[in-house]
Amino acid sequence: MGPLLESKYRRPARRPGTVARARLTGALDGVLRAALTVVSAPPGFGKSTLLADWLATVGEDVAAVAWLSLDERDDDAVRFWTYVVAAIRASGAGVGDGALGLLAPGSPSAEPALVALLNDVGAMPRDLVLVLDDLHLVTAPEVHDGIAFLLEHRPPQLHLVLATRVDPPLSLSRWRARGELLELRSADLRFTGQEAATYLNGPMGLTLSAGDVATLDGRAEGWIAALQLAALSMRGRDDVGAFITRFAGDDRHVVDYLTEEVLARQPPDVRDFLLDTSILERLTGPLCDAVTGREGGRAMLATLERANLFLVPLDDRRRWYRYHHLFADVLRAHLAEERAASLPDLHRRASRWLAEAGDLVAAVDHALAGGHVDHAADLMERGTPAMRRERREAELGRWVRSLPDEVVRVRPVLAMAFVGALAQVSDFATVEQRLGDVEHAVRPDGGAWPEEPPPGLVVVDEEGYRSIPAGLEVYRAALALRRGDLDAAAGHARDGLALAPASDDLVRAAAGALGGLASWARGDLVAAEAAYVASVAGLHRAGFVADVLGCCIALGDIRRTLGRTGDAERLYRWALDLTDPAAPVRGTADMHVALAGVLLERDDLTGAAGHLDAARGLGEHRGLPQNPYRSRVAAARLAEARGDLDTALALLDEAERLHDGDYSPEVAPVPAVRARLRIRRGELHDAETWARHLSPDDEPTYLREYEHLTLARLLLARRDDAAGLLERLRVAAEQGARTGSLVEVLVLQARAAQVRGDMPSALGVLRRALGLAEPAGLVRVITEEGPPIAMLLRALPKQDPAYGSARRLLARLEATEGGPAPRSLVDPLSDRELDVLRLLGSDLDGPDIARELSVSLNTMRTHTKAIYAKLGVGSRRAAVRRAHELGVLPHRR
Amino acid sequence: MSSREPRRYAIRVRGRLAPRWAPWFEGMALVPQDDGTTVIDGPVADQPALHGLLRTISDLGLPLVSVTATDEPTL
Repeated sequence: MGPLLESKYRRPARRPGTVARARLTGALDGVLRAALTVVSAPPGFGKSTLLADWLATVGEDVAAVAWLSLDERDDDAVRFWTYVVAAIRASGAGVGDGALGLLAPGSPSAEPALVALLNDVGAMPRDLVLVLDDLHLVTAPEVHDGIAFLLEHRPPQLHLVLATRVDPPLSLSRWRARGELLELRSADLRFTGQEAATYLNGPMGLTLSAGDVATLDGRAEGWIAALQLAALSMRGRDDVGAFITRFAGDDRHVVDYLTEEVLARQPPDVRDFLLDTSILERLTGPLCDAVTGREGGRAMLATLERANLFLVPLDDRRRWYRYHHLFADVLRAHLAEERAASLPDLHRRASRWLAEAGDLVAAVDHALAGGHVDHAADLMERGTPAMRRERREAELGRWVRSLPDEVVRVRPVLAMAFVGALAQVSDFATVEQRLGDVEHAVRPDGGAWPEEPPPGLVVVDEEGYRSIPAGLEVYRAALALRRGDLDAAAGHARDGLALAPASDDLVRAAAGALGGLASWARGDLVAAEAAYVASVAGLHRAGFVADVLGCCIALGDIRRTLGRTGDAERLYRWALDLTDPAAPVRGTADMHVALAGVLLERDDLTGAAGHLDAARGLGEHRGLPQNPYRSRVAAARLAEARGDLDTALALLDEAERLHDGDYSPEVAPVPAVRARLRIRRGELHDAETWARHLSPDDEPTYLREYEHLTLARLLLARRDDAAGLLERLRVAAEQGARTGSLVEVLVLQARAAQVRGDMPSALGVLRRALGLAEPAGLVRVITEEGPPIAMLLRALPKQDPAYGSARRLLARLEATEGGPAPRSLVDPLSDRELDVLRLLGSDLDGPDIARELSVSLNTMRTHTKAIYAKLGVGSRRAAVRRAHELGVLPHRR
Repeated sequence: MSSREPRRYAIRVRGRLAPRWAPWFEGMALVPQDDGTTVIDGPVADQPALHGLLRTISDLGLPLVSVTATDEPTL
């Protein structure tokens, strides 16, 4: 974004020498009743002047006024809205802080910021008038979409005023039909004969007859710029009548004709000054001195302003000005015609002064306009690090495209900047080719990377040169990731990290994130963790808070899978501390959702609910792309923990609809999360439908781990054999050091052994699970299993090393059971088991029941054992009592 | 379809334009007419280029009279 130019959102002061136009300022009072005001007319119709005049009549208690003067460079949504928010903050409205935090450079969308802004404005005690002047200079559809969004969702306090030469694409007819549009067009803005007379004979100090005024106005057709030029041409002239006759009889372009007249009447030094400085977009004394090669620029500007020579002051201190657009165009035409040869020099001098003053963008523009491509390239290269830090890759791309290819080819640093711009617009074919070009230019023989750039190459930014090897690897990692070649991506990213200079935070951050993503998807979570740590550190040093939060989602997930719940929690809290509570950036909501997940795993339901509330309170617009679905999955898990399985299911359906993985590997797909819930609800058929793409004989891969664990749960619920699958999952989790996954596998293995009736194995595996779970802060993965796991926990003897841990979990389980939440059977009974259970409630003995059901006594006993395990009981009588309590069997009368 | 886009236009504006404005309309001829209008005549690369020209005309405050494709195939 670069430094905000304060003059852009400075509201123009009432200019002396303007005519009071009560009919128009009166009409503009309608602004405060309209949603939208459009002041639409060609240049020189006094749009800005009129608005400034009217705004001076608006009391501060009635409305705050935010003014933004736009230019061509604002054709970028983030830049545009950053200026709008800056203008609103400067207006004294007391709003906009929140929106500012959501407009980080490189933000994918401005909408979250607009939502925050609209919320703030909706709470204002007075109105807000937002004036966008020269809106025709902005053509990007995203910007116009944003303006339409603002209008559609506007609170009654907001009144939008657009001053433009071209009607904005905002379906004006709809606003007109609603009676919420105020329009002032060129027909309204033209000077009436009366206004022309007042103007010419008033502020312009002429004494014209009514006939003369009518002739002039007839020729100028009420066009104010033309009348102003005409007045300037007539001042101090003896033959005013003759001038008017000549003008009226001439068919040349009015402005062209009159400017020539005005210029012809200026002293040579003024005329030269006007022509020389017409190349400048903004003028200030020292800059004018540099361009003209003379002194006294500041005094000259003051003189021109006094003489009404189309100089518009841009600040209160009369330091910066610009020429009226129309006048500047005519001046430039004269300059090009009379002194074309001096143009390169004028631009070169302007460029040098602006570069020294730190306005690199303008300096580059002038270097290019003067045809000094090498100088322009030097400036671009110098500006590249700052542009990259400010995420202005698109602008960098435009710059480099404006240079001849042979200039770029010998400048590897600039060529790399161009690669960045290409990557941002996903032009990967060209990225690949350009990377090859750079590499070939620097080391044509493929040898070691030369410390100094080889002769023939131009390097201005030496640090940039040292970053090229790492940069090449980073882009190659990105290309590999795009191809789905994870091994190559991880390798390139690792090399990039190794080659990156310690000082280049951005290259390190990019290499880390790409390597982290690739290693994560490959299931190498230890490498992924290390890579993301490097990325987060780089982003943090570079000050990219929203990106830090984005990476923390991934890094936290990885740490939790590794069983490092405490480290994940510390990370989330550290990340939250980076954000400014007054202006939370996007990603703040995600951190609260992530913390809710950790607390839920610890069985701290109240804490989890608090963080989910906090995330909701921040609003969806403060979440990153994954947040809509992740927040609902977390809320579903909380509902499930509270026993509200219906709400949980509804939330998961919503999560699936809102799913956006944002390029992260799909490690816990929503359908699998929902299948787990179905299993818990006893809806095995739905879970089986989901599981069709899986088999217990699948080779375990990390990306399928969550799904395979879900399948194992389904097999257990169906009393099918899950032992082989679970054992392979255990080996894979151990090999990948995924302690979080391992605990879950072990818990399921304990349950499987329990169902088999193999208590020694069940206790052995459970002991191991407890030993890992407690230091990792994992509670719910065990207590979720409910009564059956309680039975196992109770079975651990006092001298067992896991005894203390088991007792603490039991205390939690019992506390939950006594709670108000409706309980349900964690592990539902099969139809056959229900038949057995019903008969257990009768007076029949074992052999009778077996006969009744036409099964062997052994089978009947297996069913009985399974029922006991699921109900967490040890006797027939307890099983029947518990079944009644849980509503599995109808309540006894 | 793009091959059937007109490639030549005659844009008529009110007011006579001095030749010094030619750089504003690169590659096109400024032809003053007897009726006090100027025809800006010449090749136009594509539709965006045409809109760019119209914008330049608007920026100079030139009233637009007509825009005619001059190489439209006659039907």
